Amino acid sequence: MKILFVDDERDVEDLFRQKFRKEIRSGKLELAFAFSGQEALELLSTDNPPKFVYVFSDINMPGMSGLELLEEIKSRFPLIQVSMISAYGDQENYDKAMSSGAKGFFTKPVDFDSLKKEISSLIEDRD
Amino acid sequence: MILINLISLSLLYYLKKSSGAREFPEHLHRYFKYGMIAAGVLIALGIVHAPPEILFELLSFVLVGAVVYLMLNTPELSYLKTLAITPLPIIGVRLLEYVIKTLSPAIFDIVENYLDAAGVFAFIWAVTMWLNHRKQMKEIEIERIITKEQERQLRTTEEQKNQLETLVAERTKEILSQKEELQYALDHLRSTQEQLIQQEKLASLGQLTAGIAHEIKNPLNFVNNFSELSVDFLQEISEEMPKIPDSPEKENILDLLENVKSNLGKIRHHGSRADSIVRSMLMHSRGGSGTMDPTDLNALIREYSNLAFHGMRANPNPINVDIQLSLDETLPKVKLNAEDFSRVILNLLKNAFDAMRDKLATAGSDYKARVEVRTQDLGDKVLVEVEDNGPGVPDHIKDKLLMPFFTTKKGTEGTGLGLSITHDIVNSHEGTLEISTEEGKFTRFTILLPKR
Ligand SMILES: [Mg+2]
Repeated sequence: MKILFVDDERDVEDLFRQKFRKEIRSGKLELAFAFSGQEALELLSTDNPPKFVYVFSDINMPGMSGLELLEEIKSRFPLIQVSMISAYGDQENYDKAMSSGAKGFFTKPVDFDSLKKEISSLIEDRD
Repeated sequence: MILINLISLSLLYYLKKSSGAREFPEHLHRYFKYGMIAAGVLIALGIVHAPPEILFELLSFVLVGAVVYLMLNTPELSYLKTLAITPLPIIGVRLLEYVIKTLSPAIFDIVENYLDAAGVFAFIWAVTMWLNHRKQMKEIEIERIITKEQERQLRTTEEQKNQLETLVAERTKEILSQKEELQYALDHLRSTQEQLIQQEKLASLGQLTAGIAHEIKNPLNFVNNFSELSVDFLQEISEEMPKIPDSPEKENILDLLENVKSNLGKIRHHGSRADSIVRSMLMHSRGGSGTMDPTDLNALIREYSNLAFHGMRANPNPINVDIQLSLDETLPKVKLNAEDFSRVILNLLKNAFDAMRDKLATAGSDYKARVEVRTQDLGDKVLVEVEDNGPGVPDHIKDKLLMPFFTTKKGTEGTGLGLSITHDIVNSHEGTLEISTEEGKFTRFTILLPKR
């Protein structure tokens, strides 16, 4: 199962790869990283239909914001689930994300337990 | 003889009349009165030629002499000198006539013609002197009028001066009271300005800290996440280590790994410390969110004092505290941002607990930590008070208590934001927060909220 993380902070890649080390090693999970909305859209469009089932995106990014990316993905790839991860856990962002079709909303610092739960429930759904 | 008495009478009458304009002493009036009576009596006696004529004539000369003497020798009458000497030649001639007639009528017959001539001269003298006297009197009168006018002007000037002085005194008083009012207004303005500056500083600091907090939050998350991960990995490593045969190198590696683990623990600890500060800062600057709803303040206080107490008991260094709730049950619902205001209660109680913990450590075993939370309906305002019997706050610190990042707590215990946030929240409710304290005895936070 392939998941895409989008965040302008490059160290997010190391962090998530290490956090999900076991799942990745066991082959249950495949992670990809994009560091901007644009890059994320390019990655998603390389395969048709895209191999990604889930996108986790930061909201505050230079260029395309996470919320714009969410709308773009929802219109171009309606089957892909999208959740937002943001340091700004305010009501406005939450409402906007939810009304644009986000599946979940995680606040930074990420609670990895709930994130892992979310991902394992996805894995189980596929199995 | 009648002429002499007429002179006495007219002199006395003149004196009496002129006494209207100039006030003569009482005894002079008496003299005038009796003198006039005596003159009248002597005139009557003269007309009827009552015997002994010679005595009455003598008395007439005595009377006129007395009148002239009085006029010449009384200071009040000195201005009438001319008048007093006017009849003198007439009196002298008459007296001479009288003396000669009495002593020797024969001689009188011889000198009668001379005496008549002397009488004429005496009369002319008298008329001249009289005119002189009239002139003098006029001059004196004019002088008197002038003096009177000058006096009047002086009095007027004096009065005007007095009026002016009264006016000046009144004005001075007015100006002084205005000055006091102005001074008061100025002081008020200064303190308001200071408050504004303080608030402005807090506000700009709030924005700054919000910005800083957001910028720090992300890197800080990495620090915390990576150190947590590394601790996990070290755990895995230590699980794998027994599978490797023992050797001095392995021992060294294990030793180093132990250090790394301890270091990571420290990174984790200080990272989460920084994290809690950043989170407080973000809450601090978060304004305007949340709604003001009619809230049962007493219920909120009950709930959150309970929470504060149990929170404190569950944390390191719990203390025994007697929490007294003196709540005004007639309190109506107050428009509050309940979420924010609950933080006020939590912060003030936490502050009280921390202060009393310090006192418990130093005071004797007699000291019983006690905190009282009060509410009271003050009409247009609602009072909320949190009072502890902790160590109190020294004067030099009191003003700084509400400043962000000011803390009296040692090392890693406080963020220095609790009271500053509390102050901000109370301000956002348009309320006031005041601290009264006595060192070694108590600290009382008084919040006044408008009812609206
Ligand atoms: Mg970002």
